[in-house]
Parts: sequence; C-alpha cells; structure tokens
Amino acid sequence: MIKVTINGKEIELEKPVTVLEAARSAGIKIPTLCYHEQLEKYGGCRLCLVEVEKIPRLQTACTLMVTDGMVVRTETPQIADVRRGILEFLLINHPLDCPYCDKAGECELQDLVEKYGPAKGRYKEKKRKAPESLEDPVFVRNMERCVMCTRCVRMCDGVQGASAIAIINRGGHSHMEPFSGGKYDCEYCGNCVSVCPVGAIMSRLHRHSYRPWQVKEKTETICPYCGVGCTVIAQVRDDSIKRVIPKIGSSVNNGMLCSRGRFGYEFVGSSERLTSPMIKKNGVLEQATWEEAISLTAKRLGEIKNKYGGPSIAGIASPRCTNEDNYVFQKFMRVALGTNNIDSTARTGYAGTQKFIENIFGQGATANIISGLSNSDSVLVIGGDPTAINPILGLQIRACSRKGGNILAIGHIKGLEKFNPVTVSPRFYTETLLLEGIVSALKNKKGLPGSIPALEAKIKDISTSAKEVENGCGIAEKDFIRFTDTLSESLTPSIVLGKDIAQSSGGSYKLMLISAINYLMNARIYLLSERANEQGVLDMGCAPDLLPGYRPLSFAEFRKRYENAWKSPISEKPGLSIFEMVDSAKSNALKALYIMGENPVFNLPNSKAVKAALKNVEFIVVQDIFLTETGKLADVVFPALSWAEKEGTFTNMERRIQRLRKAVNREGMEDWRIISEVAKNMGVKLDYSGAEEIFQEISRISPLHRDLTYEEIGKGGAIYPYKGEPLRGVMEDIQMHKGSSVNPDGKLYLRLERPLFHSGTLSTKAPALVKIYPEAVARVSPAVGEALSLKSGDMARVSTRTGSLELPVNIDNKLDNLSVMLTNNFEDKGAFSLMEYTIDPVTKAPVIDANEVKLEKVLA
Amino acid sequence: MLNEAAVKELNEIRQKYPNARAALLPALYIAQREFGHLSPEAYEAVSEILGVPKAIARGVATFYVMYKHKPMGRNIVQLCTNVSCMILGAEKLVDFLKNKHGLEPGGTTSDGRFSMVIMECIGACGTAPAMLVNDDFYENLTEKYIEEILGKYK
Amino acid sequence: MGKVLLKNIENPDSADINEYKKAGGYSNLPKALEKQPKEIIEEVKKAGLRGRGGAGFPVAMKWTFASADPKFPKYLLCNADEGEPGTFKDRPILEKNPHLLIEGMAISGYALGAEYGYIYLRGEYPEAKNILNRAIKQANDNGFLGDNILGKGIKFHLAVHQGAGAYICGEETALIESLEGDKGQPRIKPPFPVNVGVFAKPTVVNNVETLSNLPYIIEIGGDAYSKIGTPDCPGPKLYCVSGHVEKPGVYELPMGTILRDIIYTHCGGIKGGRKLKAVIPGGATTPILPPDKIDCPMDFVNMPKHGSMLGSGAVIVMDESVCLVKVCYRILKFLEHESCGKCTPCREGTGWLRSILGRVEGGEGMEGDIDLMLSVSGNMMGKTFCPLGDGAASVVQNFIKHFRPEFEEHIKNAKCRFK
Ligand SMILES: Cc1cc2nc3c(=O)[nH]c(=O)nc-3n(C[C@H](O)[C@H](O)[C@H](O)COP(=O)(O)O)c2cc1C
Ligand code: SF4
Ligand code: SF4
Ligand code: SF4
Ligand code: SF4
Ligand code: FES
Ligand code: FES
Repeated sequence: MIKVTINGKEIELEKPVTVLEAARSAGIKIPTLCYHEQLEKYGGCRLCLVEVEKIPRLQTACTLMVTDGMVVRTETPQIADVRRGILEFLLINHPLDCPYCDKAGECELQDLVEKYGPAKGRYKEKKRKAPESLEDPVFVRNMERCVMCTRCVRMCDGVQGASAIAIINRGGHSHMEPFSGGKYDCEYCGNCVSVCPVGAIMSRLHRHSYRPWQVKEKTETICPYCGVGCTVIAQVRDDSIKRVIPKIGSSVNNGMLCSRGRFGYEFVGSSERLTSPMIKKNGVLEQATWEEAISLTAKRLGEIKNKYGGPSIAGIASPRCTNEDNYVFQKFMRVALGTNNIDSTARTGYAGTQKFIENIFGQGATANIISGLSNSDSVLVIGGDPTAINPILGLQIRACSRKGGNILAIGHIKGLEKFNPVTVSPRFYTETLLLEGIVSALKNKKGLPGSIPALEAKIKDISTSAKEVENGCGIAEKDFIRFTDTLSESLTPSIVLGKDIAQSSGGSYKLMLISAINYLMNARIYLLSERANEQGVLDMGCAPDLLPGYRPLSFAEFRKRYENAWKSPISEKPGLSIFEMVDSAKSNALKALYIMGENPVFNLPNSKAVKAALKNVEFIVVQDIFLTETGKLADVVFPALSWAEKEGTFTNMERRIQRLRKAVNREGMEDWRIISEVAKNMGVKLDYSGAEEIFQEISRISPLHRDLTYEEIGKGGAIYPYKGEPLRGVMEDIQMHKGSSVNPDGKLYLRLERPLFHSGTLSTKAPALVKIYPEAVARVSPAVGEALSLKSGDMARVSTRTGSLELPVNIDNKLDNLSVMLTNNFEDKGAFSLMEYTIDPVTKAPVIDANEVKLEKVLA
Repeated sequence: MLNEAAVKELNEIRQKYPNARAALLPALYIAQREFGHLSPEAYEAVSEILGVPKAIARGVATFYVMYKHKPMGRNIVQLCTNVSCMILGAEKLVDFLKNKHGLEPGGTTSDGRFSMVIMECIGACGTAPAMLVNDDFYENLTEKYIEEILGKYK
Repeated sequence: MGKVLLKNIENPDSADINEYKKAGGYSNLPKALEKQPKEIIEEVKKAGLRGRGGAGFPVAMKWTFASADPKFPKYLLCNADEGEPGTFKDRPILEKNPHLLIEGMAISGYALGAEYGYIYLRGEYPEAKNILNRAIKQANDNGFLGDNILGKGIKFHLAVHQGAGAYICGEETALIESLEGDKGQPRIKPPFPVNVGVFAKPTVVNNVETLSNLPYIIEIGGDAYSKIGTPDCPGPKLYCVSGHVEKPGVYELPMGTILRDIIYTHCGGIKGGRKLKAVIPGGATTPILPPDKIDCPMDFVNMPKHGSMLGSGAVIVMDESVCLVKVCYRILKFLEHESCGKCTPCREGTGWLRSILGRVEGGEGMEGDIDLMLSVSGNMMGKTFCPLGDGAASVVQNFIKHFRPEFEEHIKNAKCRFK
C-alpha cells in the first residue's frame, strides 16, 4: 500500500501510479494538455506542474510516479502563477480565432485559459503564420492553432501504428505534417483528430456546419461496417448525423475507430436513399404505396407457395441487418412459407469456416475477445490482412508486436509489414504444402496431445520436411525453420484467419491443417468478419441447416423446441444455400426470392451469371436502403430503415451482442416490420411492438440466448456464452476436400482485394470514403506492369472468361508477379463480375482463386 | 532508389547497431549525398531499406540542421556567427559574402557553385571567426582569406 | 605536472597509434585489465573524478549505478557533441589525441562491463570523424578493441555515430534518442540512462575529456590524482578561451585555476591592452560575470558560489567594444534555434525573449521591456523539461543583473551606441 498526501488529503494506492492518476482518483483536478490516457507519457506542456515536498523543482504530475509518503500540493499561489505563465506561452503564437474555429466549445485550450489563464496578452510581436491546409479531402490542418502537444503523433505512431504524421522542424518552428506536407497518405482512421486538444486538425466532413454545443443528441451505437463491432457515438443535429466519434473505455475499440467507422456514416443521409416502395409494372419500377407493395408481395408469395410449394421460395438474409431483423425473417421463411431456404453471404466463407472449426473444437471456439490478441506472445496471420478487413482487431496485433510478441505471417500482409513479421510466402497454390510442413514440424516438436483423436487421425500420416517445403513452396529452409521455431516456442499463441482460405481451392483441407496447428499449439482462433452482423445472421438461424441459437436443424429435439414455440411445423429438410439458390434459379426451379438488405447480384462471385439466373425468377422482393443492382431486378422494392434509424442488436466476431440505438428519425419501416406486415397480409401472425420484444422472444426460445435482456446487453454484459448453453457433443466426421492443383507458371490470376476504406457498395455511398479511395483500380507488381509498359494511372483492360473491365492500373512493389488485385466495391467495376467459382463441398464456400486473367494496355 | 554501392555502405553501417532504426541518421546522410538533398525519393529509399516510416524519417531529418531539404549548390559555405565569432567580426564577413559574392544566408548562387548557411558555434572559437566549406575548416578568417578560400572551390 | 590530456599534440602525427604508443600510450589499458572492474571504479572514486561535460557529476557514482544493473549488454557512450558556444576543448583530443580517448573508453568499458561503445560526434566535426574512424580501426587491429582485447577475452566494440546539427543532443538523454535514430529530444527521467539508456539497456554517458582522464588515473592511481587541482574537484582541466585575449586557445591547467589568472597569466591578458568588460566563464549559457567578479577558482564546486558555473570551461572574454545587449540577443537567438520544442516554456519563451532583445538592441525597445524579460524568464526558470530552457532564462536574468544600465540605455536612447 502506498500512501500519498495531495492537498492535505491522504490517498492510499494499491500500486504505483502517476501523481496525476492518484489525484484524479481522489477527485483532485490537475490541468493537463499533452497528457492523454490512451497515449504514452510525454511531459512536454508543463501545465500539470505541482509542488512536491523534498523535491526542489516543480514536477509534472503526469510523469512523476508516486512514492510512499509523498506530499504533493497542486493549488498554491506559485502553481497558479505557473499555469498562467504556461498558458500565456501557449497563447503568444495562437491565432485566437475561436469565433471561426469548429473546436470552440470542446477545445481544451479554451477551457484551460478560461479557468487558469492570463487576463491579457503581453506579446507584441508578430505571431507565427501558417496557412490553413485544405489539401486533404478529409482533414483540415491549421497549424497556427497547434500547441505542439504531439498527441496526434503519439496516437498515429504509438497506438494506430500507421506512423503517417510527424512533427517536422525544430523548436518554435515546428508543427505536425503528413509526409507530403499536404495531403495525407495514411489509414484515415481519424484517431489523431480525436486526440487533438485544439482545433489544429479536424474533419472536413462537418466543417463549419455546427458547434459542439449545438449537438443535442449523442447516441451510443455500434458501427455498421465490419464484424469487430466498435462502439460509436453519433452526434446529431437537426436529425442528421454530423459526426461519429469513438468512446474511451468502450470494450471493443476503447476510443479508437477506423476510417469506415468514423467517416463512413454519410450514406445515412444520402439523397440516393430509397424513399418509397416500388412495384415493377411493364418492366419498370414505379413508386407505389406501402399498402400496394405489401399486399402485392403477400399475394404473390401466397400464390407461388400454393402453386409450387414452399421450397420453391428462398430468402436471403443480411449480415448488415440486426439480429431482430434476421430472426423475424427466418421465422417468416420457416413459418409463413414453410421452407428452410434461407441463407446469407456469410456462406461466402465465414459460415463454413466457423462450422468446420466448431465441429472440431466445439461451439464458441472462435468466440475470443479481440483485446486479448495483444497479450498473446505470437499471432499467426493467414488468409487476409486483418488491418484492412477488421482494422481495430489489426491494432491489437500491432500492439502485440509492440509488447514484444511475434507476428507470423503466411504471405505478405501489408498492414503489418512495419511490425517485424516473420513471413513465409509460399508460391501460388502451394499453401497446402506449407501448412502440411508446419503441421509436421509442430507434431515433431510438440507431439500429439491425444485429446481429439478424430483430428489426430487426419494428420498422423502427414510428414513434410523443411526441404520439401523449400522445393515445393520456394521458402528457404532456414526461413521455414525460423518460422516454425518461433511458432512452436510460443506459449500463448493466437491465429487470425481470413476468408481467403475458405475461398481457395482445397479450402476445407487447409482448414483442417489450420485446425491442427490450432490444436497442436493450443491456440486461440479468430475469424475475420467483413460484416457487422455476420455472426448474428448465423446465430439467428438464417442458414439452411441452422435454427436460432446456432442449433442444427437436423436434430429433431431442436426442431421440436421451435415448433412448439412457433406453433408451426418446421421442415426437416435442409434448405438451399445461397449458391444453390442461384443454381435453382438458373434451372427455373426457384420461383420466388425474398431478399433483405443484400445485393447478391453484386456481392456473389460470377455476378453476371447470378444476374442472369435471377432474371428467371418469377417474383423477387428486395428490401434495401438503396436501389441496388439486385433491386433493379425486383418486382417489389421496399425502402428499409438504415442502421442509424433503428433499434436492435448486432453480434460481433467475438460473439459479443451489442445494442444498436436509433440516432436519427426517418419515415419508413425496419426490415423486420416490413416482413411482419407482409406476414400479416398472408394471415400469419408475426407481430412485435418493437425490437426489444423480438429479442425477448429470442431469449425465451434460443438456448444460446437464454434469459438475456436488452438491459444487460446495454451494460456490455453479453459476452459469449452469455447465460446460455453452447452446443455440445455433436461432433461429426471431419470431412475435407483437397482441391485440384494448378500449375500457375506464366499466368496471371485475378484476386480479390479487401480494402481498408470500403465495405460492400455501402461505403461507396459515403462521400468521404470515396474521396479517400475514389475508384476501382487493378493492382499489379512492377514486373507485371513493366512487361506491359504500364505505369500507375495507365488504363488497362482486365479480362477473364466472363468479361472484361477497363481500369486504371496501380503498381504495387509488394505484390507477387502472378496476381492482379481488384476490389469488389464499385458498381459496374466489381471483381466478382470477372470471377467464376466452384463450391467447396465441405464448407459450401465459393472457390475463387483459379480465375486466369489477361491484362492489356488500353491506349488513350 | 539508392545505387548498389550506397546500399552496401548503408548495410555495413547498419551492422554497427542492434537495430535498423538506429542507422537512420547515417542513412539520411548517405541519401542526402546520393540525391543531393532529402527529396521525397530519398526518404522513400531510406524507408525501404531501414523500414522506418517515411513520415517519421522526415520528422527526424527536419529536426537536424545538417540535412538539406532543397537542392544545394556544389559547395556549402558554413559560416559561424555565434558569440566568439561575432565579437571578432563574423557579421562583417556575412555582409562581405553577400555584397561581394552574392551569397545570402540560406541562399545559393545562380551558377550553383555555392550555397551559404549560417552556423552556430563550430568549435573553432579560439581561432574565430571560422567557417567550414563542405568538410574543410577555415579559421582566423579575414575578407582577404575568404577570397582566397572561395577560389579553391569550383 | 606535464600535460595529460594534450600530451604530445604538437607532434603532427599524434593521432597515429604508433606515435601514441611511443609517447607511452596504451600502457594503462593492460594495467587496468589486471584489475577487477570494481577496483577500477574504486580508483575513480578515490580520484574524485567529476564529469567534464558541464554538470560535474561524480563519475564513480554514475558507474556504480550502471554496473549494478543486471541488464545486458551495457553501453558506454562518449559525448563528443561539444555544442556549447565558446567550447572547443574536446576537439583537440578528438583530432590530435584520439587514442587517449579510445584507451580511456576501453578502460571504462571494462570497468562498467559494457561491451559496446559509441562516440556521439557532432556533425560539425567531419575531420574528427575520419580521424576517429582511422584510430578505431588501428586500435582494433592492435587488439585494444574488439572481441578479445589483448587476448584477455574481454569484449569492447567502439563506433562513431555522427550527429547532424543539434545542440540539444549534448544533453545525455537527447543524445541517446539521437543515437537511436530519433529526434534529439530529452527523455523523461526516471528511469535514468544508467538503468534504461540506449536501446533500453544500462548506459553511461561521459564527456570526451572525462573519459580521457582514465588512463592517467590508472597510471598514477586515484589517490595521487586526487591531489591535482582542488580537493572537491580534482584533476587536470581543459579551459578553452576565446574572444578578446592575446592568446586564445585550449589550456590544460589544474582544476580550480583562478579565472583572472587564466585570462591575464595564461592568455596574455586582453587583446591590445583594452579594458575587460565581461567574461562568460563556462560556455555561452553560463551566467556572465563582470570584471570585478573574476577572482574565482574555476571548478564545479566553487563557481556556483561565485555566481556562475564552470560548464564546459569555455571562457569567452569580451572587451569594452562589445555590446552586451547584442551578445545576449545572439545567445538567445542560438537557444531559440536550438530549443528542441518539447516543452512549452522553452519553445515559446526563447523566441519571445529573443524578439524582445532584438527590438531593444535595434533601438526599438519599449519601456517595461526589461521587466517583461525578467517576468518571461521567471516564467521559464524551473519549469522547463531540461536545463536548456532554464539556461536561456538564466542568461537573460544574469545579463540584466550585471549590466542593466546598458539595456536601459538602449531603450532610453532608442539606439545602440556600439554600432
Ligand atoms: C543542453 C545541454 C547540452 C549539453 N551539451 C553537452 C555537450 O556538448 N557535451 C557534453 O559532454 N555534455 C553536454 N551536456 C551534459 C550532458 O548532459 C551530460 O551531463 C554529460 O555528457 C555527462 O558526461 P560527464 O559526466 O562526463 O560530464 C549537455 C547538457 C545539456 C543540458
Ligand atoms: S488519420 Fe490515423 S493514420 Fe492518418 S495520420 Fe491520423 S492517426 Fe495517422
Ligand atoms: S496537431 Fe493537435 S494533437 Fe497534434 S501536436 Fe498540434 S495540437 Fe497537438
Ligand atoms: S473496425 Fe470495423 S466496426 Fe470498428 S470502426 Fe472499423 S469498420 Fe467499424
Ligand atoms: S527546455 Fe524543453 S524545449 Fe528546451 S531543449 Fe529542453 S526539453 Fe527542449
Ligand atoms: S500534462 Fe503533464 S506535462 Fe503536459
Ligand atoms: S563561436 Fe564561432 S566557432 Fe565557436
């Protein structure tokens, strides 16, 4: 126990903390400026100077650690003078343009001067001048207002790990700049903006549009983009979101956001939003009333069900919609339409991967806490760049490295390249051999633990030497050995697994090998997730073989449970997967398709073929917030409320359930309510007063969600396995598929890029993100570029068997010579329009890594 | 990009330190020599080799006055004007260089022959006033002596 | 006493290892290696050696802390940043007697258990860089450095790290930052470098001159050494004298030599027999002294009692032709330029003081400017992160304290009569 006395008050402390922290714990305020709780100590501004007995010099409270018996005074006439003096220094070069400054009202300098500052200035010389920089599309930089606290730099370098900005020059001539001096070339997380105490760096999105004190509503909700599920605060004025900021202390993202979460909100107020239901008449979508659209939908679905039977109808649920939306949707499909034909784009990788892993290790095997990653002593990254797909999770990997942990990467991971990864990059199509090599090495080093015989049976005969890896994968023996040594010496390893594995040929076999690594290392596994509610859509039973609570449909016991609760029979026949729906449409077997918040015509590979197939379907209903390419094919389109306009819950990749709260109002209906209205018109009762009532039903019926309430979720209490029962003892045979091997020599392959700044087409409706990453580009290596005399910016035609696109080229010197990288975000320029797929028979995920591509220069 | 010899030199220097970051200052010197000044390309090259983010490298470089951030003349006249030199007439020499040779502090002659930089104390106070031209010390300067010295540099 | 630090430097080849050896060099390293590291530290303690970089910190104390820290490897850094205006005392060692320093560092490294050493050399000494690199190579070739010094299995590697023009890098934690490839901005203390220094390892930073005393301490023993100079502050000392004296230069004299004697006896008095106006005794940032205050023993202990500091032992002598407002302005201009910018009072205060001084010197001073300067420097003093900022405040305070009338005259007459 350490005892300190501050201003005569005795404080007892368990462990040594700074004087500042000790004072704060006792409710004693010490002014600070360069201090920030998220950042490393600095001690530069000198505002927090205090008197300490027995130390002749004044001490900075933010850096000095307390010692037993220390006596501190923070409010003496001397200290008051010091604060006045320091603030005077800070003001001499400050423009004092508070009336024009967007920060006024939440500016720490302004508040400090008001409380402690000098009455009038004594500085008579010219102030330092620096023109406001508007060179960047997202940030405005005003270096006259900079107080040189370096909080932004400490954030960018020390926490975000982007190291994109620095203080340049020295002393009184210094200020913060990105590398170019103007435009940023960075991750655009905006976390530097969050920590700037003054109006020196700000977002342009809300420039001069409001004053902080005019914000009436501040809604705490969850980011709509990826599976991390960051807590965000939406600041609202005049019923429009003016700004989205993070919250310090929130459990997943603790004061941090990524570019999508911070700057991607503007789609909510987009003028392109759908405003009214539409009905297709003579091939043209025309505005209709809600009644017309609902009754038409109910009528047509009823007719088709009667004529062709329930299984001729399918539903596509949405990993962007809430648990409540998805729950009601699957219930509607099962109860009102009598089919298990319900699935979602989680099928493109996440669902199958999770199922595969849970089959071996049990339910919840992937439900690991993201912040725990930084405490691992090694992180094995495979199948995607976590810093782009799930940026806030990526930060935890960077933090792990900073704390001395090892990053082990299979393939080049751009966002981790500055964090000393131990990387092995296998030649194309030899990842399997590498994984076999790793499994062999780990078996030799660690032995088989004997706890999962079924898995051991699969790997017992695998024996691949370092030499074979060298010959097969092109990885030097010593690099491979260093890699496996580092991995095997690790005591608390984690594995971060991206979708590229499931989407590659032999995906399920690779998953077995990765599971084996997980098993032999006793690691924790994290599945990257591109959509905010990808886990929730599965947990709600929006899958052809699952019931809510992630219960297998094949178990009569579970079917019974739901039949009783829903008072309706449930077909025991598993439904169609999303890809089987497409096939079924192609063969004219599928007669109606109900799509909620998804754009399969763009978001599924071979999208042109998907579109052609969907054209065969007699009746298509689409609920969405924009008129998507899928919507254009629909017979009825309903405008749905967006994430910001409704209540509900999301389940993130940790399987944490979190509350969405309504931030702005809009006319219209939540997705679940539209469905419930359609059901009512069909004579099926699916009524709820609101999202909470739906959740109450879920927590009553789903064994996994048992007894969970909104109140507990709101308090952050919904961490897996909640109070429910995870599924136990249902292990099936481990099935796997090795895939065919390809000789890639001399060919180019089209590969999917998963960019940091975009997510589906949703982000392309957010102008800020489009300014940062404005268009689809084809990324190739310098060698590939050179061979076709292509420079960055040149136009190229990218062609595959399914078509071609003309795209600007971007030369990336970290890329291999076999790949052409293309995103699937920009309408009409999506990689999926050029990709064919096969289906992995085990995971049911699309295999898209064998799309040969041709590249030609387009002459202007 | 740096030429092969410079990369080799840099990699040798790198071995003097337990990590690559510590080789940043010497690397910046090499890049400056090779590129003439620390241009964006120079930072890219250093960043590529040492793995130090380029914004950080630039922040570090601009802290130190001996790194140059714009193209310089072929020879750099570095005249000290600190106290010991000042009280022995360094300022007159500044005027002299300006009036007689068109050399202004921070400037470069139009023929690119000389750039001039004002220095803080260069450790030659006992033989003040003093200057460095490139890496050569000149002490006990007079106008006449400067005349003679400048003649040596083309 | 013969010369210790500047021994043999008249020899044009003094930097060559053979010349150094001929003059008895590298005879003390073997002697030191016969002793236990602890014994060497004990000798240094007996010698009473204080650091020559400016602060006069007892060397043995620093070494004891570092050698007690269990972390490995340990580092020995030689501070050859010599940036304090008026200082040029380390340069002759670096350029003319590099092996003395190397021998001193090898001994010190052994005493500390340090396996690696760097000489942090200011960027403005390009010649010294080449000389040191050559000398280090010679020492390696001769087995005085390397993995197996003199066949004793002792390891000490030495390299030169060149600074790039930043006075603040002379401050030891800024030096460490700079050696690590960062800006030279001082670090928070504690932890102190002896525990968490360069590359987060125990580190000792000593000045060139300090380390160059080691061979001599080994040679004559700590007790004998402690008899040189003043009892509280023994040893030989390099005084570098510049400005208006007949014979400026570096003088090796016993510690505690009286300032007046340095100027009038050793340096031949004021140039041209003119009148002395002021002396800055320890480098530009130490308190200025008027002519009647120069009967003080120049050592770390006595100078503070006489209103100034020994600093780097850089004596700047100014005759009556000098405008002290101008000198004060120039020093503040220097400090503004060199302020690392980390802390508010120094970053903003140096510039503010410089601009007030600039206008006073330029004849545009206003009434109240002197008090304003005192108030501004008062707001800096004791509140800055490192001594540079305090030094800036103290320069202004001491110039005004001793020469206020000259400042008042500038303001009253609105011009400088020295122009
Ligand atoms: C602003 C500032 C500049 C300094 N410059 C130097 C310097 O150029 N050379 C030096 O040896 N010490 C310098 N010092 C002192 C060092 O911080 C440190 O005390 C010294 O290197 C320790 O070595 P010593 O104990 O051998 O003197 C400086 C200190 C400060 C605060
Ligand atoms: S937005 Fe993020 S990445 Fe960009 S400079 Fe700021 S902190 Fe760094
Ligand atoms: S820009 Fe803001 S955060 Fe960065 S140093 Fe300046 S005041 Fe501090
Ligand atoms: S990491 Fe994911 S959840 Fe968090 S802000 Fe970014 S997109 Fe949103
Ligand atoms: S006093 Fe402050 S600003 Fe000045 S040099 Fe020291 S740390 Fe830097
Ligand atoms: S808050 Fe402590 S020095 Fe800035
Ligand atoms: S003052 Fe000019 S060299 Fe020292």
